[in-house]
Amino acid sequence: MPLDTSTYNLALLRVDGRRWNELRQQKGQLGVQPSADGSAYLEMGNTKIQCIISGPNERDLSKSTSSASTAPTSNGAGATVAVSIMIAPFATVDRKRRGRNDKRLQEMQTTIASGLAATVQGQSYGPRSTIHISLNVLSQDGSLLACLINAASLALVDAGVPMTDYLVACTAGSTSSYAAADEEADPLLDLNTQEEQELPFLTLATLGATDKVVAMVCESRVQLTRLEGMMATAADGCKGVRDFLDGVVRDKGELMVQEGAIGRGEVVSSMDLD
Amino acid sequence: MADRRRINGPVGATTPPIFDKPAGPVATKTSDAIRKIFLKTGITPSASGSAYLELENPNPQRPGNTSLKLSCTVHGPRSLPRSAPFSPHIILTTHVKYAPFATRQRRGYLRDSSERDLGVHLETALRGAIIADRWPKSGVDIIVTVVEGDQDRDSPESQKDDEGWDMMNVLSGCITVASAAIADAGIDCVDTVAGGVAALVCEDDKTAPTIVMDPIVAEHGSILAACCVAYLPTRDEITNMWFKGRLPGADMMVYDKLMEKSLVACRCANRVIVQELNETVKKGQGIS
Amino acid sequence: MSSTSQHLLLSPAELAYLHGSLSLITPGPIRPDGRSPTQFRPLTAETGILPGTNGSARICFADGTEAVVGVKAEVEKTPLSPYEFVASTEGRKDHTQKKSGSRKSKKATGDEEDISMDVDEEAAGANDKIRGSPDWVELSVEIPGLRDDDSGTVFLTSMLTEALLADGEFVKKLWINRRFHWKLYLDIILISPPLSYPLPLLSLTTHLALLATRLPRLKSEADEDPMFDDDWAAATFLYPRQDTSAKASNKSSKPSSAAAAPASRPPITLLVMAVGDNIIFDPSKEELAVADSAVAVSVAEGPASESESEPEPESIPATTTKRNLQLLSVRTIDPPSRLTPPGVPNSVNAAAWGTMTAATPTTTTAATASATEGGAAKHPDARVTETEDVVGVWKAPRGGAKFGMLGAMVAKVLEREAASPRSQGAG
Repeated sequence: MPLDTSTYNLALLRVDGRRWNELRQQKGQLGVQPSADGSAYLEMGNTKIQCIISGPNERDLSKSTSSASTAPTSNGAGATVAVSIMIAPFATVDRKRRGRNDKRLQEMQTTIASGLAATVQGQSYGPRSTIHISLNVLSQDGSLLACLINAASLALVDAGVPMTDYLVACTAGSTSSYAAADEEADPLLDLNTQEEQELPFLTLATLGATDKVVAMVCESRVQLTRLEGMMATAADGCKGVRDFLDGVVRDKGELMVQEGAIGRGEVVSSMDLD
Repeated sequence: MADRRRINGPVGATTPPIFDKPAGPVATKTSDAIRKIFLKTGITPSASGSAYLELENPNPQRPGNTSLKLSCTVHGPRSLPRSAPFSPHIILTTHVKYAPFATRQRRGYLRDSSERDLGVHLETALRGAIIADRWPKSGVDIIVTVVEGDQDRDSPESQKDDEGWDMMNVLSGCITVASAAIADAGIDCVDTVAGGVAALVCEDDKTAPTIVMDPIVAEHGSILAACCVAYLPTRDEITNMWFKGRLPGADMMVYDKLMEKSLVACRCANRVIVQELNETVKKGQGIS
Repeated sequence: MSSTSQHLLLSPAELAYLHGSLSLITPGPIRPDGRSPTQFRPLTAETGILPGTNGSARICFADGTEAVVGVKAEVEKTPLSPYEFVASTEGRKDHTQKKSGSRKSKKATGDEEDISMDVDEEAAGANDKIRGSPDWVELSVEIPGLRDDDSGTVFLTSMLTEALLADGEFVKKLWINRRFHWKLYLDIILISPPLSYPLPLLSLTTHLALLATRLPRLKSEADEDPMFDDDWAAATFLYPRQDTSAKASNKSSKPSSAAAAPASRPPITLLVMAVGDNIIFDPSKEELAVADSAVAVSVAEGPASESESEPEPESIPATTTKRNLQLLSVRTIDPPSRLTPPGVPNSVNAAAWGTMTAATPTTTTAATASATEGGAAKHPDARVTETEDVVGVWKAPRGGAKFGMLGAMVAKVLEREAASPRSQGAG
């Protein structure tokens, strides 16, 4: 369905009624999977992701043949991060079954693995250990790569893997297509599938609330003048996502204190740190 | 999975449309007998054990009629590769593969899911029979090739939806032939395991369903339920059972009868195995 | 290698102990988690979790294994068989005219339910008109760490498919008209690593997802190109509910409420195992590791038979109402116990000979001497342990199951299913 972008200029509202710099409704949950070492569930709009972490454990030879993408941390002196993505066939509007060796999936896996490898403090584990991150996409509606990164980041927190900061990601697009040659087009934050199909967009992953870029993926054609605005918008979005993820983690922590899973003292001291 | 390495022929059947109403099914065998089995061991000299099984074709003069032809080879026991982890038992690998021309629908060269499924059934059936702990750190490959898959080309069945009842017959044949081949390879077993099938068939709406041993799928109006069993006669034990279909009211009586009938079929098949193995032994004694 | 045989870290001594406590007769089997022999593992379940599907469900067992099932339906053209004599010339004309239009209506997913209603009304006369084909259902199982064509996955897939297709009634629900049908895709995803044999979990999740599955209501008639009602609230359940009021409320997609209990239920596959003379339901991974035999039994519940005219009242305990249970399929599962390492009895254990032969001087030299010269003495004992069981020493089971035991296992499943309304689906 072609997206009628002309209405944006009139009302300054997007197809789903958001403003240009508004994130979609987000929902996060930690520790959804009791048998896993770490797990998280993240919803951004209609994109729903469940992430399961197993490890860090000793590198399994049989696993190395699977289609997971791996990246070593700390220049090979630390644990390896292995990422595998599974998109449920029912995740999209039309049912589509993807093979495990789908090239787009592999590329996303590599991006996430290398991004996380730069964030995880892998030297606390031996170089022969692996952190397996398995991401299940249950429903897909735009900003897939960004959501996958956020979900993995959240699950790593649940698994207790030391990281320098949250690795957060967000997409940003531009209100008109490349062909429109509109140098002044406004940037848009957090695109859904409909917008992604029509408009140029990029995915930006930053380290927490800082403006340090860890990964950036842009696969569409866009005028150079518009790129900077998009990046700035995406970086702002990342800050929002970071606040959200932090809120999820803090809520979980409070809940654990209430349930007596951890003592109040330890929590307070760690909360004082930031 | 698509086979990209070969240029494959068209998959579909090439049956010409027939506008005449096809002749009804003809029963060629009684309900409590099984088709005659031809079984011969040691047909593949290069394998450590092998066997060939053929079921009698009840209608050989009709060109579209086929029966079941299976060939089985056993390779091993041989030592596992160095990289394999320690195993206190023999590791059994079963492959069941239809020849591309074995069924009405052409089969590709890669094993599809029904072939893999048969392989799992066969593995379960054989693993109960083999004394696995006498062969630690070793493996054996059992490969069954279905040369003819018991599907008549011009039977009325070809107009119905393929419900896969013939897979039961194929499985029982696979069990019998693999059992003979394992014995031929000299692998220790608790007994010779044999396969047998019984089915609850309904010729038409008027008659009550009856139980038939070794059903020829093309000859019956409809099959309500079928059961394939792998049986060890001297121990009176079942190593694998596969039942599917619908039993009205979940009638355990009918179910038990079906099982009993398939055990009778197993015993019949087992006699053939024992006789063939005896003959092989006698021949061997004559030579030496 | 089937997925039943995963690595299990239990020593032969532990296996022997577990086998012993599970095969106790007098107080009944003692299970490691304290369940009764027929008790299932506790679980949490939810349905309708994914609005993008026609039906979805998620189940999480207490041990942490979790599965998600999504059901999607698409309208597909039914290929006309050359043998289809009923394809009248009129129908054929129609067919060529509308060939181009059919693709477009695919998105508006459609109806199904009306048909099953019609079946009752039109009775046997029109029954042969409604057909189904096994090709109309596609089921896929995804297990992390296993390839799609791994034989264990294939076995699970074919077992679950078989249960759905066994009675040939399910596919008839997918019939739209002579030219179109629904193609139903069931995608089963195991989210967690396979800690125990996932069959019961996957089957239960599929069961719930199918119960929650709805298809848009058909608006067109007869053999027209299908047109569907846009209103999802009007969509009909694949398994119709008895209470018509439940159909109107689109929010109550949970099958938990007794008022909206469907008349017939999708098949369910249960895993049962035998240890000694005991029959144990829903075994955990550890229990399965000492199983003498294991069987997967699929049962479904059809609509109450014609003879009972009044609908099954749900308020009465289900034990008293007669339910139309159907046995759909039975398969033996290769128990992983066959791959467990055996224990070594004292009689053949060289290290234990010193204590065994107490008459000989128990100096270390004598012990080693007896070990070396014991070759001849060892043989008879070794023979015995090769063929016979020694109490307290684990040995992987050999052979199969007795006829009576298999029959008893199936009978017990039917008995239990008849006694329990499957209401545990409610989280």
